[in-house]
Amino acid sequence: MAASLSARPRSAGLLLAGCLLAVALSLPLAVLLGVADVPLADSLATLSGGGSAMARSILLEFRLPRVATGVLAGINLAVSGLLLQRITRNPLADPSILGISQGATLAVAVFLLVTVYSHAPGGNTLPDLPVAWLPAVGLVGGLCAAGLVHLLALRHELGPIRVTLCGVAVGALLHALAMGVIAGWGSTRVEILLEWLAGSLYARSWDHALFLAPFTMAGLALLPVLLRPLDLLGLEAAAARSFGLSYRRAFTAVLCLASGLAASAVGAVGPIAFVGLLVPHLARFVVAGHRALLVPVTVMLGAVVVTAGDLAGRLIGGADEIPIGVVTALLGVPVLILLLRKTP
Amino acid sequence: MRRSLTSGGLIAALLLVSVLLGVWGLLLGSRPLRPEVLPAVLLHPDDSLEAVLVWTLRLPRSVSAFVGGAGLAVSGLLLQILTRNPLAGPGLTGVTSGAVTAILLCFLLLPGVSSAYYPGIGLAGGLAAALTTAWIAGSGARPMRLALGGISVALFLGAVTTYLILLSGPQAASLFFWLSGGFQGASWPKLLSMLPWVVIGTGGALACLRAISLFSLSEQAAAGMGLSLAFWKPLLLLLAVLPVAGVAPVAGHVAFVGLASPHIARLLHPPGPGWLIGLTAALGGTLVVAADLVARTVVLPRELPVSIVAALIGGPVFLHLVRNHRITSKEEG
Repeated sequence: MAASLSARPRSAGLLLAGCLLAVALSLPLAVLLGVADVPLADSLATLSGGGSAMARSILLEFRLPRVATGVLAGINLAVSGLLLQRITRNPLADPSILGISQGATLAVAVFLLVTVYSHAPGGNTLPDLPVAWLPAVGLVGGLCAAGLVHLLALRHELGPIRVTLCGVAVGALLHALAMGVIAGWGSTRVEILLEWLAGSLYARSWDHALFLAPFTMAGLALLPVLLRPLDLLGLEAAAARSFGLSYRRAFTAVLCLASGLAASAVGAVGPIAFVGLLVPHLARFVVAGHRALLVPVTVMLGAVVVTAGDLAGRLIGGADEIPIGVVTALLGVPVLILLLRKTP
Repeated sequence: MRRSLTSGGLIAALLLVSVLLGVWGLLLGSRPLRPEVLPAVLLHPDDSLEAVLVWTLRLPRSVSAFVGGAGLAVSGLLLQILTRNPLAGPGLTGVTSGAVTAILLCFLLLPGVSSAYYPGIGLAGGLAAALTTAWIAGSGARPMRLALGGISVALFLGAVTTYLILLSGPQAASLFFWLSGGFQGASWPKLLSMLPWVVIGTGGALACLRAISLFSLSEQAAAGMGLSLAFWKPLLLLLAVLPVAGVAPVAGHVAFVGLASPHIARLLHPPGPGWLIGLTAALGGTLVVAADLVARTVVLPRELPVSIVAALIGGPVFLHLVRNHRITSKEEG
């Protein structure tokens, strides 16, 4: 479908080289550029072990972990979107459309408010809050939402449209509940929750990157094993079964993997919309026919889109940086509309 | 004939329930009133604390909740008929998000604009969002396209509003509370600013009964009976967005009422579109009055946004609809 956007064949080597170049350009730029001006020589010295104390602190404690978290979250969301689009046979599937992000949001909101009330009633600054737990809590919430969608859709043979609509319904319900919880009990902590809600890489530390890394690695390691079931899941259930696939089991396994990837990313960086939706399409457009390259290109572009989007948000917004979630929403909607209009 | 009597009776019963809930609501709050005081306060308002509580806080609030709920429900009904899509409602078509975002933009960027213009601004935003969703969804009844188009519009606008609120600094908490929906700030002037929009929307719908009953059959039927689609579709869309535009400046984003009320009303088998509109409005109003009562009394002295209660009532209806085989069997084939 999206492949029809471009029909010109390209050489596979050139393609990979181009993607690698994009990665090689965007990552160092994201580390070297920022609101605080660090001289280039100082930055380079820092990265090779020396550098001034200020440069060391800015680069090693703020920018590097931020970029690393962004890269991992981008990969997770992009791969999750790719998997979800395949199993729902719906080019528009995405963790935030299937309710996974909303589940994570609700879990994080409830967790923050409960812990704050039970442990630090007066606390309303970031260090008072149990921020380190958020990724894990978000993960649990996202998985629960995905489980709910799966359960609701199960009765109807997991038809792709049913799964999508159940996802939209669960997402809308959980979103309303999350908003209600935040508005009802948030009081002075609304801003912190909103910052998280917008999807932001602000103040992400090495802890976040370390939390995400195992999910990313497990996901990438499992992908080659899942390639054949994934191809078959793109077919009708009956056709897939005739190829010897246990449809329901494969569907559930892929849904679990996709939700795990997405929910961990949402837990760490908040619900960044549209990355899971857009990057696979972008990748299909870029690979144009070289289907074997789709997964690696999706992974690379996921990293690039989040890193570059975050860099743009930091540079344009200045001190009031534009959260990455807003940047991706602004970029994503036109592309989404184009896709929807092209879908027959 | 008997069915219209039943429907009329149901509407009357719903109105009665609303009134009873409203009167009960007058007694409840962080400072409860004794029932025997109420008649005196209602009949002879003076400067006493009780009178102020009843006349300037609780009464306008309950009335606003009823009017707002009725408006949102009628809006949802019109959108469902217009799009021929059971999942349509002010939320899932992006109308509410559009209205709320436009008002928020105006509030933050043009602080000089009087709040009297907010319904008009909300109308423009809501219409723009509805047209975008309709354009994305394309022609024909395709629940999935509409749901995905609407949800993307809502997600996009949600990201924008979140960022705007973050930029607004100290006002963030109160803006967020408004955005999440509720009637906590309702007063007589606010009720008066909302009322005409809801009345025009509902009255307009009742005035266009013939067109609405034809549209609920199919667009072809409407065109075949000599209705000009180019005239009636925009008109009905306008009527659908009017109540949302009126309610949004007062109550923000009240979710699920517009979606759920028409479906519950249909379950009661009204005999014609006129009764359907009446029942839907009465149900929506009663639902929101009840939800508002729960929202403001269940965690005293705190308040919940009315949306969380409405979501708990309307959400299951939504899930039931989605699971219902009829809706999607067409597409799944």
